[in-house]
Amino acid sequence: MSGQRLQLWLLLVGAGVAVALGRAIPVCFEGRLPQTPGEDVLSLILGDARLELSRALGEKAEEYFHGGVRNLNCTIHSDAVGRGHEGHDAEARGIKEGEPHGAHQHGDEGEHASGHAPGGGLWQWINASVHEQAHRHLEGLQMVEMLPWFWAACRLSAKNTQAYESSAYVLAYELGKPEEGVRLLEDGIRKDPAKPELDFFLGEIYFSKLRDMRRAEACFVSAREKCLPAQRDAARAEELLRLRLRAVFYLGYLAKQRGDLDRVRLCLNEAESLAPQHHTVRDLRVLLEKSGTKNQ
Amino acid sequence: MSHRVCQIKALAGLSVLELYRRKDLIVVFVLCAVILLPLMVFTPFGVSGASRYVNEMALLLVWLFSLVIGLGVSARLFPPEFESRTIYPMLSKPVARGTVLAGKYAGALAASVSALAVFYAAYGLLAGVRQGVWFPAVLVQAFALHIGFLAVVTALGLLGSLVLTPSANLTMMGLTVTGMLFFGQRLSALASAQAWPGRTVLTLLDWFGPHVEFFDLRQRVVHEWPPIGWDVCLAVLAYAAGYAALCLMVAAFAFRKKRF
Repeated sequence: MSGQRLQLWLLLVGAGVAVALGRAIPVCFEGRLPQTPGEDVLSLILGDARLELSRALGEKAEEYFHGGVRNLNCTIHSDAVGRGHEGHDAEARGIKEGEPHGAHQHGDEGEHASGHAPGGGLWQWINASVHEQAHRHLEGLQMVEMLPWFWAACRLSAKNTQAYESSAYVLAYELGKPEEGVRLLEDGIRKDPAKPELDFFLGEIYFSKLRDMRRAEACFVSAREKCLPAQRDAARAEELLRLRLRAVFYLGYLAKQRGDLDRVRLCLNEAESLAPQHHTVRDLRVLLEKSGTKNQ
Repeated sequence: MSHRVCQIKALAGLSVLELYRRKDLIVVFVLCAVILLPLMVFTPFGVSGASRYVNEMALLLVWLFSLVIGLGVSARLFPPEFESRTIYPMLSKPVARGTVLAGKYAGALAASVSALAVFYAAYGLLAGVRQGVWFPAVLVQAFALHIGFLAVVTALGLLGSLVLTPSANLTMMGLTVTGMLFFGQRLSALASAQAWPGRTVLTLLDWFGPHVEFFDLRQRVVHEWPPIGWDVCLAVLAYAAGYAALCLMVAAFAFRKKRF
C-alpha cells in the first residue's frame, strides 16, 4: 500500500517537473529555440521547401497555360512580353499596339514539342497520339483556369515573386480585374518588401489599367529605390539594372506628362550613367526633344 | 461450353458481391466527396469560373481509387482460398483450374469496372452541371481506355497473387503500375541515354513492361483537347487485351503447377 502511495507521489512530482520545465524553457531560452513564435503552420512543416513547392505549383499553372503540356521554351512571362504588361513600356514610348515589339512568336503551332516523333517505334506512336503535345495557349477569360494554382503558389511562399507577378498579370490584364491584381501585389510587397519587381508591376497596373499616375509614380520610385541595394546581388545585377532603367523611363515619362522637364533630364542622366547604350536613354532623349507637354 | 460459361459467371458474381459486401466503394465515394466538395466552392482571389483543377483532381482520384480497387480485388481472390483451404472443394466440384482462373479474373474485372462506371458517371454529371457539356466523346474514350487499364491491372494482380505473397504482390504491382504511369513514356529515351547493362534492362522493361500510360487520357479530358482517333483507341484496347491474355496464360501455368 505504501509502495503504491510512493509511486503516486513520484508520478505527481514527475508531472510537476515536466509542466514546470515546459513553462520555464521558452522563457529561459527565448530566441534560442529552433522554432520562432508566430510562424505559420506551413512554414513550420515545410520550412524552406515551401519555395520549391510554390515554384512547382507555378509550373503547374504554366502547364495549364499550354493546355496541360509542359513547354519550357514558352511561359506566361515570355508570352506577356509585347502582349501584356511589358507592352505598356511600348505604349508609353508611343509604339502602336500590335507592332511586333518584342512580341513572342510561335512558329511551332501544332507541332509536337516533346520529341514524340511519329514513326519512332510503336510505343512512341501510341504515346504521341494519346498524350497531346501540340502547342496552344489559354487566352482571355480561359486564363481563369490558372488562378487556383497561382493562388496556392502565392499562399505557399511569399518569396515566389514570379507567382505574384503572373497572378496579378492574369487578374489585371486578362480577366479585367486590376483591383484584385493590386490587392495581391500589395499583399506580396507587405510579405516580401525587399523585392522591387512587385512594386514595378504594381506601378504598371496603376499606370496602364487604373490610370492612377500619382500612385503609379510612387510605385516606380519605390521600385527604383529597392533596385539600388538589390543590384549588389551579382546574380541578379543585370536583371535589376533593366528593371531600374524601365522604372526610370516611366518616371521620366510621367514627369514629361506633368511638364517637369528638369525631372526628365534627371532621369535621362541617371539612365545614361547606368547604361549609355540602352534604348531607355534614346527614348528619354526623344521625350525631351518633343516639344510641348500632355496633360494627364 | 455453356456449362463452363455458367461456372465462370457464378465465380465472377461472387467476386462482384465481395466488393459490394465490403463497402469499399462507399468509403471511396465519401473520401472523394470530402476532397472535391470544398474545391468546387473555392474561388481563388475571389474569382469564380475555374473548373479544370477540380476536373483534374477528380480524375486523379478516379485513377488512384480504380488502381486501389482493381489491384486490391484481384490480389485478394486466391490467397484467402488457399489459407482457408476452400480451394479444394471448389476444384473437386469438378471445376477446371483454367475455369476457376477465368472466373476469378472476370469477377475482379467486372467488380472494378462496375466501380469505375459509377466514378465516371459521377464525374460526367459533375462536369456536365459545372460546364454544360454532357459526356463528350473524349470522356467516353477515357472510360473505354480506363477499362483497358483495369484489364491489365487485374490480370497483373491475379498473376502476382499466384506467385507472390499478398503484401509483396500489392507492393510490387503498385510500384510497377505507378512507375510505368510516370516513366513509361520516357523509357525508350532513358534507355538510349544509359550504358550497358542499364540500357538492356530499360529496353527490356520498355518492350515487356505494362505500358499503362497508354490508357491515361486525363490531359485530353481536363484540357478539352479533341478525342484521339478511334484507330488509336482500338490499338490501345488490343494492347490491353493482349497483355491481359499474356498475364493470364502465365497465371494459368503457375496455377497448374501450384501445390497447395
